[in-house]
Amino acid sequence: MGRSKRMLDELGADIRDHIERETQDNIERGMTPEEARYAAVRKFGNVARVKEDTRDVWRIAWIEDLWQDIRYGLRMLLNSPGFTAVAVLTLALGIGANTAIFSLIDAVMLRSLPVEKPSELVVLRWSAHKAPRINGYMSSGDCTSNLRFGAANPSGCSFSEPMFREVRNANQFAGVAAFANSGPLSLTGNGPASMINGQLVSGDFFHTLGLKAAAGRVLELSDDSPTAAPVAVLNYGYWQSSFGAGRDAVGRTIELNGADFTIVGVVEQRFTGVTPGSDYDVWLPLAAGPRIGNPRMWDNREDKVTWWWLTILGRLKTETPMLQAQAAISGMFRNEMLHGAIPLFEAGGGMPGPPEPRGGGGPASRQVFVGGPPPAGARVVPTPTGGGLQGSVVVGGPMPTPVGGQGPARIQAPSAPTTQGRAPSDTATEPRTLSKPDDEPTITLVNAQTGLTGSRGRFENPLYVLMFAVGIILLIACSNVAGLMLARAAARHKEMALRLALGAGRMRIVRQLLTESLLLAATGGILGIVFALWGSHAIVSFVSNNQPRPLTFATGLDLRVLGFTVAVSLFTGILFGIAPAFRSVRVDVTPALKDGFSASTKISRGRARRFSISNALVVTQVALAIVVLVGAGLLMRTLQNLRSIDVGFDSHNLVIFGINPSLAGYKDAQVDSFYRDLQGRLAETPGVKSASYSMVPLLSGSLMATVFHWPGTPQDRQSESDVQEIGPNFFGTMQIPFVAGRNFNAPDYEIAASAFASEANRSAPPTVPTPVIVDQAFVAKFLGKENPLGKRFGQSDASQEGPASPGYEIVGVVRDTKYNDLRREISPIMYKPQSGFIGAAFEVRTAGDPQALVPLIRRTVAQINPNLPLRDVTTESQQIDRLLFQERLVARLSGFFGLLALALACIGLYGLLAYEVTRRTREIGIRSALGAQRSDVLRLVVKQGLLLAVVGAVAGIGVALGVTHYLKAMLYDVSAYDPITIVVVSGLLVLVALAACLIPARRATNVDPMVALRYE
Amino acid sequence: MSTKEERERIELLQGTLDLLILRTLLLGPAHGHAIAKAIEFKSDEVLQVEQGSLYPALHRLIKRSWISVEKGTSENNRRAKFYRLTREGRKQLKVETSKWDKLAGAIARILRPAE
Repeated sequence: MGRSKRMLDELGADIRDHIERETQDNIERGMTPEEARYAAVRKFGNVARVKEDTRDVWRIAWIEDLWQDIRYGLRMLLNSPGFTAVAVLTLALGIGANTAIFSLIDAVMLRSLPVEKPSELVVLRWSAHKAPRINGYMSSGDCTSNLRFGAANPSGCSFSEPMFREVRNANQFAGVAAFANSGPLSLTGNGPASMINGQLVSGDFFHTLGLKAAAGRVLELSDDSPTAAPVAVLNYGYWQSSFGAGRDAVGRTIELNGADFTIVGVVEQRFTGVTPGSDYDVWLPLAAGPRIGNPRMWDNREDKVTWWWLTILGRLKTETPMLQAQAAISGMFRNEMLHGAIPLFEAGGGMPGPPEPRGGGGPASRQVFVGGPPPAGARVVPTPTGGGLQGSVVVGGPMPTPVGGQGPARIQAPSAPTTQGRAPSDTATEPRTLSKPDDEPTITLVNAQTGLTGSRGRFENPLYVLMFAVGIILLIACSNVAGLMLARAAARHKEMALRLALGAGRMRIVRQLLTESLLLAATGGILGIVFALWGSHAIVSFVSNNQPRPLTFATGLDLRVLGFTVAVSLFTGILFGIAPAFRSVRVDVTPALKDGFSASTKISRGRARRFSISNALVVTQVALAIVVLVGAGLLMRTLQNLRSIDVGFDSHNLVIFGINPSLAGYKDAQVDSFYRDLQGRLAETPGVKSASYSMVPLLSGSLMATVFHWPGTPQDRQSESDVQEIGPNFFGTMQIPFVAGRNFNAPDYEIAASAFASEANRSAPPTVPTPVIVDQAFVAKFLGKENPLGKRFGQSDASQEGPASPGYEIVGVVRDTKYNDLRREISPIMYKPQSGFIGAAFEVRTAGDPQALVPLIRRTVAQINPNLPLRDVTTESQQIDRLLFQERLVARLSGFFGLLALALACIGLYGLLAYEVTRRTREIGIRSALGAQRSDVLRLVVKQGLLLAVVGAVAGIGVALGVTHYLKAMLYDVSAYDPITIVVVSGLLVLVALAACLIPARRATNVDPMVALRYE
Repeated sequence: MSTKEERERIELLQGTLDLLILRTLLLGPAHGHAIAKAIEFKSDEVLQVEQGSLYPALHRLIKRSWISVEKGTSENNRRAKFYRLTREGRKQLKVETSKWDKLAGAIARILRPAE
């Protein structure tokens, strides 16, 4: 437009020039100057009009043409409201579904971290060829880790606190922050006792992330010291919901796990946790760890190089390139791993305490406790009778599902004490380090945006599947509207011919028609945004309702989503508009104009071609719908299969809740007697049939495993089994039948209690083997035909690892059950009598509706101790639903999208046939007049429709077979090529297609021959 | 749609003027007044164009890139703007000329069928 402006600016001068020259000419011809000027002006004409016309030359093309196109387009669309409504609605559904799923993808995967300049933040990630020799490892689920016993090339993002201090002192970063899950916090001092989620963060955490306080202040470096006054910073949302957003909250004192903390501030609203999807109620300095943790659990880890539990973030300096910082940090790490000796006391006393059985709670709170150092680690206490966790791993909480949705990753323990036969004196002579040189421990710096995956991994796969499904729906919508436009183009045939004949440029008409399609797409896009907002809100609340804690993926319109929608709408408009537009202008003007009103007899050649396009569009729609439907069918069958799995126990009428009396100050034996007391009172509650408890609730996503030595296998071979600790009458309550042997009795629990005490007090080791009950899978794996009862295993001699252990003795065999997850194969499980200070999950078998008993159960607990909060009160059925939420979400959404695809395809089919019937009214009339029966006419129409549907279905099945194997990882007990699904889906489609055919077909049979023939 | 027909009639006239301008510029660049004079002169002053209507036409041709503008000075050292035929314009001139010939021929045949 610059050129036009320049030209117009000079126009006045040009005209003056012109008149000047003409005047000069006239003077040369002998006129007087006055005459000459007058003649020149007259000859030039009206200067104002010339200017106006010239200006129009530039203006018309741009704004006016566009405006004219839009006005004309709107008029055309309003002239056929039926067409417009169907097209806009179809497009709105297609665009809306895409926007909804994209806004989820945006929220979960693309949105930047809620901190200042997130691109500068890196997360430290270690890797080595072999697992380092450490005593404890905890990942809060902020990033993926694959630390497995014996597996090659483990990696992760947890580090020891001494390592964190070194990184900070290395001065390679503009700022360094470390954080870890605090574990569950029992809060008192603000209304009734409640459980909240907290994060332990280094003092410079908020400053490194560039976060400000919404009230009070954030944590300072000086707060993070053992001698500093204990302080806490609140989450904005939590401050609002639990403290009424009162300014006076700052300065108040709350009690967390029995320790006092002063609230010093509230962090700004946008921040709920640095990892996507995480949501913490409160942040405490790292130094507060020992105050809130069980001392045994805490294990003085702040000074231990063998306890890895902190995720470390660094903010890159502008002058230091990432690779340079990485080289420096990695070199430092390697040096520490290879040359820093493990202090003796650490190597000996390392006993990571038992975890909370209910897992971490939030999606970002996966806790992995790895007990037992690698082979060289000396243990004071032998494993089998230990406090439940040595040599065991707990995979807590709802876990990030690895690619393929296999359920929680199984993390194997590095090692339990073995009778490997190293003399205890070895420890003194051989300096021990965390790694060996050929393990090549290194650190890579990963951009925090990609490195902090959090719960993102669980949603990635389903979201991509859904995005694919909605992409197909958009294609169906496009071809649907393209079909409608084609039909309309036929109707506007004459109009186009007339316009061409009157001299309109073809491109001009194409542009006009494209404007119409873009108008349609834009309207559809606007309506689609409304659908999308509503839809994504519904999806998020569905996801949220199935989490232990609400998820904080904020969906909504941001620029990226809006941009996506605009791009999709434009793309859509062009996609469905371009073919009909070009078709329209490919008109042979003369015959079209000569043709009669209804354009029925001539142009049959042109029509044949057009109909092949329309037919192809309908076939495409049907085929695409089949692809979505087959995918949806497979996912729904997966859900159905998972739901109908025999879990091995009665999952109905079962209330589950977690409780941890040690958080309220119960010690040692008090804990066991508390459990018995509660169990007894619960069992006596009216409406309760029986009650028991276990360390880990079944089908909660959590699992424990242990390793031991099986007699008859090589000395250095470790056998592995899942392990569960249970209270009395567990099998009765869960209704798991005995296959052989007996249940635990009181002496069994005494053995467990004394073994626990001996470990806890480091006193004389037990001499009696711990009684265990195993499942059938355990018998099948280890014993075969051998009689399991009385079998002993897991014995070890005294060694560097610890004193001699009497191992286990099998006293009973029970039926197989699923443990942590429905998808996981039934595995060997050994049940041990539960004893010790660990938390427990109570199972309460009710006579009727379990939900109705929850208040009564709460009251029963409060009678014993009103300050004991219950965690995750739920029913087993809800728990299973929660476990299956991803499958349910995907099945529900893909089912919905499948039906949408089916509906759109059938609307397309219906539209085509309806148009056909209208067009062939005369033909049908003639046929009827010549004696065709109604059934003949019916068949005529239905045949065409069904033929299209069947061709589309066959093509669709072909495509579906080509793509369903991408779903394989998400399926359970159903083949990606499941014939039943394919048959059912095709049958459904043909039935619905038949219905879509019948409406226009019936209309065809009602054609009155007289009216039809008189029509022309 | 009477306005539309009117506009198309105007377009026809403008088209003719455009053709004449292009033809004139085939001889070489010229400024606005010179073009008007040339058209008058060549048509033996039969075509009395209102000189002002030259300017919308010139702008239209510039917009279509059929002619270009350059600044310079005329014989007597006065500021002047020269219009020059572009390659596209040359091509267009051929197309328009042959169209015109056809039209003129057709009209001629209708008007004097005997010949």
